[in-house]
Amino acid sequence: MRTFLVALGIGFVLIAATGAQAYHRFWARCNYDPPTFTTSMTRDAGQDYANAARYEGYQWGGGCWNYDDVDSYPFDPPGDPTTHGEGGDCSGLTFKTWRESTDEWRDGRWFWFAMRNVHGPYTAARFKRGDGAPNHVIAKSSAGVMDAFASDSHIGMVFFRSLYGGDQIVEAKCESCGTNIFYRTYRGDPNYGGVARWGWTG
Amino acid sequence: MRRPTIRSLAGGAAGIAAVICGGIALTSGSAGNPASAPAAALIDAGHLPPVLTLPGEPVTLRYAIVCAPREDGRPCDGSGEVYLRSGRSGPFQRLALRRGDESAEGRYYVDVPVEVASSPDGFSYYAVLRDDSTGAEITVPSGGTAAPQRSFRLRNPIGIELGPHSFGHTRSPDAKVVDAPWGSALGRVGLAGSRELGFTGPSAFDVADDGTVTLLDQVNGRLERWSHGRASATSVEVGPGLADLDVEADGTANVLEPPDRVTPVPTLRRFDRAGKLKWAQRLSDRTWSKLAEGPAGPVVLQEPSEQWLPLALNGAPLDRPSQAIRAKTGHARRPDGEVVVERLGTGELRLAELAADRVHRAWRIRSSTPLGEVQLAEALGDRLVVVTKAYTDTESEYVVLVLGPSGVRQQLVLAATEWAEGAPLARFRLAGASLYQLGSTPAGAFVVRFDLEVPQ
Repeated sequence: MRTFLVALGIGFVLIAATGAQAYHRFWARCNYDPPTFTTSMTRDAGQDYANAARYEGYQWGGGCWNYDDVDSYPFDPPGDPTTHGEGGDCSGLTFKTWRESTDEWRDGRWFWFAMRNVHGPYTAARFKRGDGAPNHVIAKSSAGVMDAFASDSHIGMVFFRSLYGGDQIVEAKCESCGTNIFYRTYRGDPNYGGVARWGWTG
Repeated sequence: MRRPTIRSLAGGAAGIAAVICGGIALTSGSAGNPASAPAAALIDAGHLPPVLTLPGEPVTLRYAIVCAPREDGRPCDGSGEVYLRSGRSGPFQRLALRRGDESAEGRYYVDVPVEVASSPDGFSYYAVLRDDSTGAEITVPSGGTAAPQRSFRLRNPIGIELGPHSFGHTRSPDAKVVDAPWGSALGRVGLAGSRELGFTGPSAFDVADDGTVTLLDQVNGRLERWSHGRASATSVEVGPGLADLDVEADGTANVLEPPDRVTPVPTLRRFDRAGKLKWAQRLSDRTWSKLAEGPAGPVVLQEPSEQWLPLALNGAPLDRPSQAIRAKTGHARRPDGEVVVERLGTGELRLAELAADRVHRAWRIRSSTPLGEVQLAEALGDRLVVVTKAYTDTESEYVVLVLGPSGVRQQLVLAATEWAEGAPLARFRLAGASLYQLGSTPAGAFVVRFDLEVPQ
């Protein structure tokens, strides 16, 4: 019996070790379907889309999430794109919310479903520079709903302005933060610039 | 090594099988059958309340209704009503929201009737917003009829023109009361993050009447108290997020934490002086901007209500409905006076002091340079101390105004030295006649003191 129990324990250990690999398989459930071209793109539809990504986690370099309101893999090591956990990162969430194309020269509106795994070609720093046909730099004082503030390391979208002059920002900020709406003062922070998407239709 | 027996092989196989089955079960629970559509009941809102209006100013109430995203990419089919009345008592009048073509400031709107907008006592209101495709509803502010949003009419606000801000002329502090290098030893404060992801340092601080400074060193999981240049530390169980801090006179510490990966709702944790958790309470609303001391305990400015909600009463936590029905438009440290703040447009700031729920005095500040957030607005004797930020796309500095009945009594410009990120509206504290500022550099964090010219 003792031998049986020892071997049983070893079996557990062996499986736990390989389980670490199996842990990072959220992306295996994502799809690579083509986006849907849309003629309209309103700011409040953008709010709807980004708001629904709340609670779904953060993944460095990621862009795929479901709608169960839980980060399926919340303890991935930060800054590691190979962990393949749930959620977008800051620029991936912005790219999908802004319905951008993976071709930087296209400025059309491409709707990506949540489980479509796409990050897009832009980092936060590239958004800050206004890179890509759909994007441009704006004065921070003029930024409104679904415009964004970007630094060299982060981008967050304005969900709504607030009474004390800061902004409610919808963002995927870090692994431990997840994706959510936070009150931020990026507008007055010189590390951040204002950026926006061309082509809102209402 | 002995040859494996059938018994040991069976044991190993059983262990492997058990864990595989367990793993499959866990996977199924977490991501095996992902919800491909958001919950139908999902609804949220945005609203910027016009809390301080001028005579003759037309008032429009605008709302964003945020629903589950549609598969065709269009915005949701929303509707709603605003319940409105002159002053703060009497029956509400029901007005249906209209749907506009633009959503930049909220697609749904109603113009406040002139007779209501011009009421000398202002008006009060709340809205019920709806997703017509699912029937999901949200009330804004969350207290509804029990604690509607207030709008106060400013009869003769004191006008202040700041003109264009001249950067580079900041005042030096009167003292540096905390100078803490990055690190984990006593007297140091924790730094988290990386160059790629950005850095966070101590997210908030508070100052007692005797000048004792308490830093929320959340990276090291502790409160660090500084008195006469010496530090002591108390461990507290807090998360790594950018939290706000309020320390009461008996040493009780209220830590307001943001949502995180495992607790997706904001929570206030209350610790005794020894760092033992007394209780934790979820906030009424989804988002917070500032924690402050109220007349009966901690109060929090929450969104989307855009009101100050109390979190405790006589030391006991208030549940979410109990917070909502006690909401106030302004912040009061004492029961007899509220300060109401509205930052509007690019460079305008309106402030009012209330007495007996009426506007006692008010200021209208206009700046040619854009104004950012209001970090602090608190009464100090017969003065009001305000800290806001002047900014351009490449620069920013804090502007401190000490306001009196005749206008600006003192004006300071302070450097915004913020290398590491902290909580959004937790950079300043007022204690006695001194203003304290939390800042950081690549070397560490610091707290500096500015003595104000205010008669006590």
